[in-house]
Amino acid sequence: MKALTANRLIDGDVVFWKSGRWVEGFGEAELFDDPAAAEAAEGHAKSQPTVVIDPYLIELMESDGLWAPLSYRERIRALGPTNHPTHGKQAQGGEVIEALLHADGAARSSGRVNLIKRK
Amino acid sequence: MYQYDAVDQEFVADRSREFREQVARRLSGELSEDQFKTLRLMNGLYLQLHAYMLRIAIPYGSLNARQMRRLAHIGRVYDRGYGHFTTRQNLQFHWIKLRDAPDILDQLAEVDMHAIQTSGNCIRNVTSDPYAGATAEELDDPRVWSEAIRQWSSLHPEFSFLPRKFKIAITASAKDRTAAKVHDIGLMIRRGRDGQLGFEVIVGGGLGRTPYVGPTITEFLPANRLFSYLEAILRVYNRHGRRDNIYKARIKILVAALGAEEFARQVAEEWAKIGPEGDLPDTELARIRGAFATTVFEALPARSEAFESAKAAHPALARFARNNLRPHKKPGYTIIEVSLKTIGDTPGDATSDQMDVIADLAERYGQDDIRVTHEQNLVLPHVRLDDVPEVFAQLQAAGLASANVNLISDIIACPGLDYCALANARAIPVAQQIAQTFADPDRAEAIGELKIKISGCINACGHHHVGHIGILGVDKKGEEFYQLTLGGSGAEDAAVGKMLGPALPYDKVASAIDTLVEVYLRERQEGERFLDTYRRTGVEPFKEAVYADAH
Repeated sequence: MKALTANRLIDGDVVFWKSGRWVEGFGEAELFDDPAAAEAAEGHAKSQPTVVIDPYLIELMESDGLWAPLSYRERIRALGPTNHPTHGKQAQGGEVIEALLHADGAARSSGRVNLIKRK
Repeated sequence: MYQYDAVDQEFVADRSREFREQVARRLSGELSEDQFKTLRLMNGLYLQLHAYMLRIAIPYGSLNARQMRRLAHIGRVYDRGYGHFTTRQNLQFHWIKLRDAPDILDQLAEVDMHAIQTSGNCIRNVTSDPYAGATAEELDDPRVWSEAIRQWSSLHPEFSFLPRKFKIAITASAKDRTAAKVHDIGLMIRRGRDGQLGFEVIVGGGLGRTPYVGPTITEFLPANRLFSYLEAILRVYNRHGRRDNIYKARIKILVAALGAEEFARQVAEEWAKIGPEGDLPDTELARIRGAFATTVFEALPARSEAFESAKAAHPALARFARNNLRPHKKPGYTIIEVSLKTIGDTPGDATSDQMDVIADLAERYGQDDIRVTHEQNLVLPHVRLDDVPEVFAQLQAAGLASANVNLISDIIACPGLDYCALANARAIPVAQQIAQTFADPDRAEAIGELKIKISGCINACGHHHVGHIGILGVDKKGEEFYQLTLGGSGAEDAAVGKMLGPALPYDKVASAIDTLVEVYLRERQEGERFLDTYRRTGVEPFKEAVYADAH
């Protein structure tokens, strides 16, 4: 399972793709089990350079019966910094946030790998 | 401190106007992200994990109350009520919106501030001694030279597109508080046998992927020849620096490849071509020097009875005085270091309210002068001993009175994976766990000077290579692990630390530090710091203890 993420140009906020638009919460993100559909969405996202920066697909894993990003870096992006639990999206709370907080998967973040490649 | 003149002010205001136009062109699509990225980085604006990060220049770590209040205001209005002081004496805001950035630059320009030379492949903000102008140890005021370099290097057309970023540090005291030997150029002010002022010039130090303590290429450069010599160094670097490989593009790689002697020879050849015409006129230096000569001190007795009796009555003040006060060059005054390492808080962070308190104290008790240290603390450089009890009380009320400067909980940590797009692992929570482990102030004082420095990736913003104990976050198949190094120093006895052994998981780091400290306390001899004991015993007793525990 995958989701599509980026940072929004105007404010840098972490956003997720949902059926042709961008949403701020991971809980609302569109989940792709079809790789072709995920890549099509990514292609679409890349054609929006005045809306988002550097869209990329992230791998997901199951946590508490819900889905969460597999990479720790992506969970921090979806939650906020661990030193300020009231900052970032984690402040909203709820079951999706809890699932992200409990997730323990580990993988290199495709976002960071892309960043290093471009550097 | 140095006061902007009309030319300086117009220059900074112009730059802000230019950036506003650039942002508008990016938002309209006229500029692509690749085109815009270079421009925003020239104004200190990075894209991080959660938002944009704006790195604001605090030239040689020196600012006044008005400027500090403006930073507090920006933190309150445009960020989340706090800012992060960095290892290059700058300030970062981590929750900035692109749409607000032009307004923020305007607000900075109003108080003679900007974000120029905080990013990009240019000569970056100069690092200098946070005790400049206050310590009796110094041979000259390094701020004068730092400011002259700032003016010389800002938008210098020849040095705005170097092979890679370029960092200069200047110290004028035997005790180095700038990490000069691990900068691209480290300048140490020296006095010649004839009394003439000059610089020891160190080139090619650095941290990151390939750490080096820089070699000295000139033992004594007459001070009035500094600028032509800097130009010669930068020309050799500009000509031969490895633009083809970002990992080999810093001057340290060039100096190591050529050898210090050959590099020095090429610099000398270039220097001869430039000649004294490349130097700063004495009149200009005198003008800049005059801007720093305005501090007026009262004639006071060396001993303050009010301070002494307050210390005797209040153990907390006495502890603060032992750890956070430093001798001032003038009788009856002291240098106060304000720790931004409150146990459990984020190293280097100050809330907007705390920034306002520091500004008030500087204005009322500290000659309107504030400094930032490269170890992520603040300094009130000129406080009357008589006023220390009151300053301490106000710092205490603001949560800024931690008496731990140079102790084990005075930890440098980069923002790490909690904020930084490049990080492999978190640094802040590791620092918090270690600080909690050593929260007992008596134990911390018994351990004495121990510098722990943590970086969340090999780029080493947390200076881990030069920590007495260095901690580097690494990514092992997506999991946070930490490599420990021992024996580093960023001071006058600079050294790159040596790796202790295999990396440790996140939850084992604080206990490993505890073990290292126990070995030190067991092994140490009279008067030894952790670093001294390590240098005498070598790594073995430390390694045995940590990995015996780990298995």
